[in-house]
Amino acid sequence: MNTPPVPYPDEIRVHPGPALLAGIERGPSLTAHRLQYGDLPRVDVDTLLDLVTGVGLRGRGGAAFPLATKLETVARRAGRSRRPVVVVNLSEGESASSKDSALALTRPHLVLDGAVVTARALRATEIHVVLPAERALAARRMREAVAERSGGPPLHLHTAEPRFVAGQSSAVIELISGRPNLPVTSWRPDAVSGLDGRPTLLSNAETWAQLGLLALQGGAQYRRRGTAGEPGTALLTVTGTHRLPQVYEVEYGARLRDVLPDAAAGAPALIGGFHGSWAAWPTVASARVSVPGMRLLGVPLGAGVVHAPGASICPLAFTSRIVAYLAGQSAGRCGPCLNGLPALSAALDRVTDGHDGRDRLDELAHLVVRRGACAHPDGTVRLVRSVFAALPGEVSAHAAGGCLRTPEELAS
Amino acid sequence: MTRRLRVDWPACHGRGLCHELLPEIVELDEWGYPIVTGPVTDALRADAETAVSSCPRLALRLVKE
Amino acid sequence: MSEGPLLWYLNRATGLTLLVLLTASVVLGVLSTGSRPGRGLPVFVTQHLHRNVALLSVVALVVHVLTAVGDSFVDIRWWQALQPFGASYEPLWLGLGALSLDLIAVVVVTSALRTRLSHRAWRSVHQASWAAWACALAHTLGIGTDVENGRIWAVAPTAGCVLAVCLAAGLRLSRWQDPSPHVPAGRST
Repeated sequence: MNTPPVPYPDEIRVHPGPALLAGIERGPSLTAHRLQYGDLPRVDVDTLLDLVTGVGLRGRGGAAFPLATKLETVARRAGRSRRPVVVVNLSEGESASSKDSALALTRPHLVLDGAVVTARALRATEIHVVLPAERALAARRMREAVAERSGGPPLHLHTAEPRFVAGQSSAVIELISGRPNLPVTSWRPDAVSGLDGRPTLLSNAETWAQLGLLALQGGAQYRRRGTAGEPGTALLTVTGTHRLPQVYEVEYGARLRDVLPDAAAGAPALIGGFHGSWAAWPTVASARVSVPGMRLLGVPLGAGVVHAPGASICPLAFTSRIVAYLAGQSAGRCGPCLNGLPALSAALDRVTDGHDGRDRLDELAHLVVRRGACAHPDGTVRLVRSVFAALPGEVSAHAAGGCLRTPEELAS
Repeated sequence: MTRRLRVDWPACHGRGLCHELLPEIVELDEWGYPIVTGPVTDALRADAETAVSSCPRLALRLVKE
Repeated sequence: MSEGPLLWYLNRATGLTLLVLLTASVVLGVLSTGSRPGRGLPVFVTQHLHRNVALLSVVALVVHVLTAVGDSFVDIRWWQALQPFGASYEPLWLGLGALSLDLIAVVVVTSALRTRLSHRAWRSVHQASWAAWACALAHTLGIGTDVENGRIWAVAPTAGCVLAVCLAAGLRLSRWQDPSPHVPAGRST
C-alpha cells in the first residue's frame, strides 16, 4: 500500500491571520467575504501587472516563480483567436500540505476573486478550478463557493486524481483536456501554449488568493505586511507526529520558530514538503520566513510545508519512508524515473540500515535528475541530498550502525 | 545559438538508436535510456537529424537554444 | 505496346520478386520493434534495412503495374490497377492486388511524412502493412500464373513467404503480450 508518510488529514486547524486569513471566524460565505474585503473592482491588465510587479508577487505552488512574468507572457500572447485560459490549481497532491484546502474551507472567494479579476483583465473566456482528490470537505466548500457566484467568465470544476503528481502543471492541463491526470513533456511554457495550445495562466490556489487580496486592497495596503524587500504574507502548513495539521498565515520576515510547537525544539525539521530539504534545529531556529532568505540557507520554503516531527523520530528512517512513497508515486511514464526512483529508494534504505551505499546513491541521484517529463525525480533527489548536507551527524551514526534517536522509533 | 537534443521522456522506450547513431553525445544509462552529454555541433548536425528521424518512437527533438 | 511475351514475363517475375520483398520488409519491420542495442545487428541497421527493402518493393510494384497495364495480352487498364473496382480481367484477384497497392501507398506516404504526424497516428496506419501483404498473397494465389500451374520455383518461395510472415506475426504478438520490463507501464512496443 503506497500510503504517504504524513497522511492526508481528515481535519485541519486554520488560524486567523493578518491578511488572507483575516476574519475567517465569520465564515466562508460570499456575504461574509464581501463584508470583509468589499466588492471586486474591475482592473485592466496593465494595472494588474503594475500591482503584481509592485509587490513582487511570486507563485505559491513551490517554485516561487514571479507571477508578473507569467501574467505578462499570457497577456502578450493572447489574441482573438487565442483566448487565454485561467487555471486555479487546488489539487494539493502533497499530503503534508493543507494550505490550499484551508483556503477552500475559509476563504474560497478570495481565491475566486483573484482568478476572476485576472480573467476579466485578460479577457479570458473560461476559468478552470481543479479540486483535490483526497479532501472531500475542502472540495465541497469550494463547489459551494462557486455556486454562490454570478457574473464573470464561466467557472469549470475538475477533480484531480488521487496521486502525488496530480498537481504538476502539465498533468493539470491533461486533466482539464479530458486525458489522464499525468505529466507530459512540455515543449513550451503553459503561459505561451497550454490548454489547447492557448496562453494559460496556471497558478496555485494561494497565489490566486494573494492576487485577489491585492486587487481588493491595493498595493499600499498589501505592502503594510511583510518586509520592504519582500512584502506580503505566506501560508504555512505545520505538521508533526500525532498532531492535526495547523495552517498559519505569517508575514514575510517573521521567525519560523514562532509557528512551531514546543515539541519541535532541538530537532531537525523538513521544510518544503516531500520534495523539500531537511534543516538542523539551529537553522530552523534562526530562519525567517522568506523565499530568497531560506533559499540562501539551503532550505527553500517551497509551498510552505513544515514537518517538525520532534526529537524522537529518526530523519533518515523517515526519509526512507518518504522516498519509498515517492517511488511508488511515479507516473510510470518516463524510464529514468520509473526505474531510478525504486533503485534510489533501495539504495537509501541500505545507507539507513548502516550498509555501505553512498556511491550508488549518488550515482542514481545523478541519473534521475532532469531526465523526465516533470520534476518528481528532481524533488526526490533534493530531499535525499538534504539529509547528507544538513544532518551529517545522523548520517555518521547510521553508518556506524546506530542512530541518534530513540531506538524504539526506528520501527516507524 | 546552440542546438540541443531533447528527449520526450514519456515517448522514449530506450530503443537505443540515438546512441547507435550519435555515440559522441548520447550514452545509455543502465536501463537503456539516453543521456545527452553535449550540444549538437555543426559536425554532428546531420547525424543528429538522422537520429531524430530514425527514433522509432519519435521521442527526440532538435531544439535551438 | 509491344507484342510478344516480354512484358508478361516481366510482370510475372516482378510479381514474385515483389512478394518476396514485401515479406522481407514485414519480417524486418517486426525485427525492428524488438531489438535492443548490443544484441546482434545495430538497431538502426535493421530499421534502415526495413525502410530500404520497403522502398525497393515500391520500385518492383511500379514495374509490376506498368507491365501489367502495358501488356496487351490481357486487358488491364491503368485505373483498374490503382483501385480495387471495375476490372474486366479477373476482377476479384486483380482487385485484391489493387487494394494491396492502395494500402502500400498509404503506408509509404504516412511513413515519408512520419515526423509530421503524431506517433500514434502513424502507428495505426502502419498496421495496414499486414493487410497489404495478405492482399498481395491472395492476389498471387488467385491470379499468379506460375503458382496456379504449380511451378515449383514459384510455389516454393510463395510458401516460404507465408511461413516467414506467420513466424513474424507470432513473434510480434508474443512481444506485444510481454514487453521489455523497462518499458513504461501500459505501453506496447
